[in-house]
Amino acid sequence: MNALEVINLKKNFNKKEIIRGISFGVERCQLLALLGPSGCGKTTTLRMIAGLETPDDGEIRIEGLPANRGCKALISQKQRNIGMVFQDLALWPHMTVYENIEFGLRANRLLRAERRRRIESVLDKVDMQKYARAYPGKLSGGQQQLIAIARAIVTEPKLLLMDEPLSNIDVKLRENIRQEIKRIQQETQITTVYVTHDQEDAFLLANKIVIMNSGTVEQIDSPEEVYSSPKSLFVASFIGESNVIPVKIVEKDRILTPWGKLECNIKDQKSGNPFLFFRPYQAKIKSGGCFEGAILNRDFINGIYKYIVSTSGVKIKLEAQEVYKVGASIRFSIKDQEVLFLKN
Amino acid sequence: MQKKLTLGFFFALFLFTTFLPIAWMFGNSIYEEGRFSFAYYSDIFLTQKYGMVISNSLILASTTTLLAVFIGVPVGFFLSKTSLPLKNFFKICFFIPLIIPSYIIGIAWVNLLGKTGFLNNVFSQYTLLSPEFISNSIYSIYGVSFILSMNLFPVVMLVTEYALKSINPRLEESGLVAGSVFQVFRQITFPLIAPAILSGMIIVFVLSLSEFGVPSLLQVNVFTTQIFTQFSAFYNERAATAIAFPLIAITLVLIILEQIYLRGKSFEVLGRTSSNSTLQYNITWLNVIGLIFCSLVLIVFVIIPLSTLIINSKTISAYHDAILLARNSITNSILFGSIGATLLTFIGFFLGYLSENFRSGLRSSIATFIWIFFAVPATVSGIGLIKLWNRPEGACQFIYGSLWIVILGYVVRFLPLSSRIMANYLKQIPHSMEEAGIVTGASWFRVLGKIFLPLQGYGIIATWLISFMFCIGELGTTILVYPPGHETLPIALFTVMANSPTDIVSALSIVIVVMTLLPVGVFLAVSRYLVKVPQLTF
Repeated sequence: MNALEVINLKKNFNKKEIIRGISFGVERCQLLALLGPSGCGKTTTLRMIAGLETPDDGEIRIEGLPANRGCKALISQKQRNIGMVFQDLALWPHMTVYENIEFGLRANRLLRAERRRRIESVLDKVDMQKYARAYPGKLSGGQQQLIAIARAIVTEPKLLLMDEPLSNIDVKLRENIRQEIKRIQQETQITTVYVTHDQEDAFLLANKIVIMNSGTVEQIDSPEEVYSSPKSLFVASFIGESNVIPVKIVEKDRILTPWGKLECNIKDQKSGNPFLFFRPYQAKIKSGGCFEGAILNRDFINGIYKYIVSTSGVKIKLEAQEVYKVGASIRFSIKDQEVLFLKN
Repeated sequence: MQKKLTLGFFFALFLFTTFLPIAWMFGNSIYEEGRFSFAYYSDIFLTQKYGMVISNSLILASTTTLLAVFIGVPVGFFLSKTSLPLKNFFKICFFIPLIIPSYIIGIAWVNLLGKTGFLNNVFSQYTLLSPEFISNSIYSIYGVSFILSMNLFPVVMLVTEYALKSINPRLEESGLVAGSVFQVFRQITFPLIAPAILSGMIIVFVLSLSEFGVPSLLQVNVFTTQIFTQFSAFYNERAATAIAFPLIAITLVLIILEQIYLRGKSFEVLGRTSSNSTLQYNITWLNVIGLIFCSLVLIVFVIIPLSTLIINSKTISAYHDAILLARNSITNSILFGSIGATLLTFIGFFLGYLSENFRSGLRSSIATFIWIFFAVPATVSGIGLIKLWNRPEGACQFIYGSLWIVILGYVVRFLPLSSRIMANYLKQIPHSMEEAGIVTGASWFRVLGKIFLPLQGYGIIATWLISFMFCIGELGTTILVYPPGHETLPIALFTVMANSPTDIVSALSIVIVVMTLLPVGVFLAVSRYLVKVPQLTF
């Protein structure tokens, strides 16, 4: 049984459809990332799971227990038993770290000794024991982050919800905190839903990624699957850098591309239109390459040159270690190219 | 559920205390002896009888608004956009006329410009004006406007200052790169703050339209005084209600227009960046003009009236006599004011929450609905309370015959204000602070007690003090509803004025000024020692 089950969830704001009937599930002890551009409805989905927003239709089941039916809540906030890390962290500035963490335990009427034991243990987990008496305002951004996580997991929730917790942190610190989140999640084995618009976060942390766009689910898969076999045009262009070129199928394993006919491994068609799909690294610029093109633009980043190449009227992205001049003619080949059938 | 029930209860309480008396009063005015009748209304609208009252009121409100703008906008500009010396001093001083009751400023200027007044002597000696002319000019609509503009210009000053400070400095800087200071002010800065100034103007217009103290002091016949006369001299409360009708209608329309016009145009949403900086013009001649202007305003609007009262009270014994004379009303005022301010803060907290933090499509309509009642004139509220509570049943008699009717009057008058102040403070607490508490499964009351109350501490103290100040100065409603033996200070002052010498009146005025300013002074002095909540930084 899944720890969380979201079934055909819908939500409107001011008569505008924000969530259009989405469904997904999270297995126990796993981390699921809700990934999508801003405004796609991922935070709203998370808030509905948390019980902070009421769905208009659909169902949310936590550990098999229906939390709502349509807009009617079936269980109390306490029965939901979730922990949540907010985007702005929402640490209460007038309480010490200890009191911040203690709040949820008091709400659950735990005895003083038990509260102390749990707080010490959770502070130990995030390695912040010595800051128990400090006010959140005195801590650095990264430390505040860890306290927000500690506060969310101290009640030993069935479900941990994280709403873009790393979005306010600078790049260097981000990596450290991301590792910490991964470690804590693996140690505590709390089922987690992690909302982010950052692909790195999703790929490095998640067991499974739900890709959302305009209130719908585009694809639910493991990070590897999402990367190598996008199911829709949106996912193909949203995840990583890629070339997605509309083609026609001429016969079995032969397609018509803008630059001529091509042998190609064609996966079984289910639905959608055929597209030639390859990542920039799958193409190689070499003198004996099959295709011809002209370099339109060159960028240098992380030790690699990235090129935009015009070829037979289409623009594609390529990359290489070698430097070529803008305007130069080059030849290139593509290896392991695939034809994917993508939903528009 | 807990939250909805609580908020519903307090909204119902608001309807019961504030809305019901007025609705009851209007219902009564058209329903007489078992049938509906609009006789009193046709009397107003179809005869010329009240034409004078209506035009007087409108002239009064318009001139007050214009004066308040001519003073408030430049002061607001100088205080926020120039590097004027003594800025904080000016700012604190300009609050004083807003805080102390307007009729006190009125008394001071009557003392100065009345037939035997000091300034009257000076003017009539050195100019061609006769003493009667000068005295008549203060006892006129324009005299009332002059005094009310002193009382209300800080409103325009505050909105102007706030709006100017809210402008993203980059918007002005990008203009300064290409054009002159004047051009930038005319084409960029002014259009950006215009909605805010307009909103300040509407507030001033509405408040001066519903002002009772100064027109009654200077014997000018306007809506509010006419309502009072109809009610207390002719015992004709239906006529009084009918006269109140156009007044309420005008204020209602204006406030609703303001809310609609400003929706989405509010100065708070103008491309504000996260930085707190404001573009300041450091131009010497501008600073000099600012200094002269602010000093003049300070002298005429604050120093002259206050020092007149102090000088006129002459001796310490005048204070002794005044306090002795008004001993009971001082105790009453402090007691009623404290209870009133506490109730206003408590109920205001929930209504403020309802109009700011409650997530619902109705939110802004609720906020507007509550705010409308701030414009209801004091005398109208008074008559409404009498109509509703003056009845033979035991419970009603208990309230009507005791201090509670005065306190109810305070609640009716100032609940819209206290909830608005509270809402402004609540706005500064992010929603996530509450949600972080709710997701732990804690009850809403627990979240209120442990998270909202401590974070709101400063706002609660400020709301209590402002409510207390307004309660202490309240005249229009109290004068109608107070039971015998429950006189408050302003009532004592108005009684004393009729039959006591100037020095006692002045001394008592100063007592009221001190009582309203003292809590603010204490708060300002103590606030630096209050534990500041450390702010989160990223």
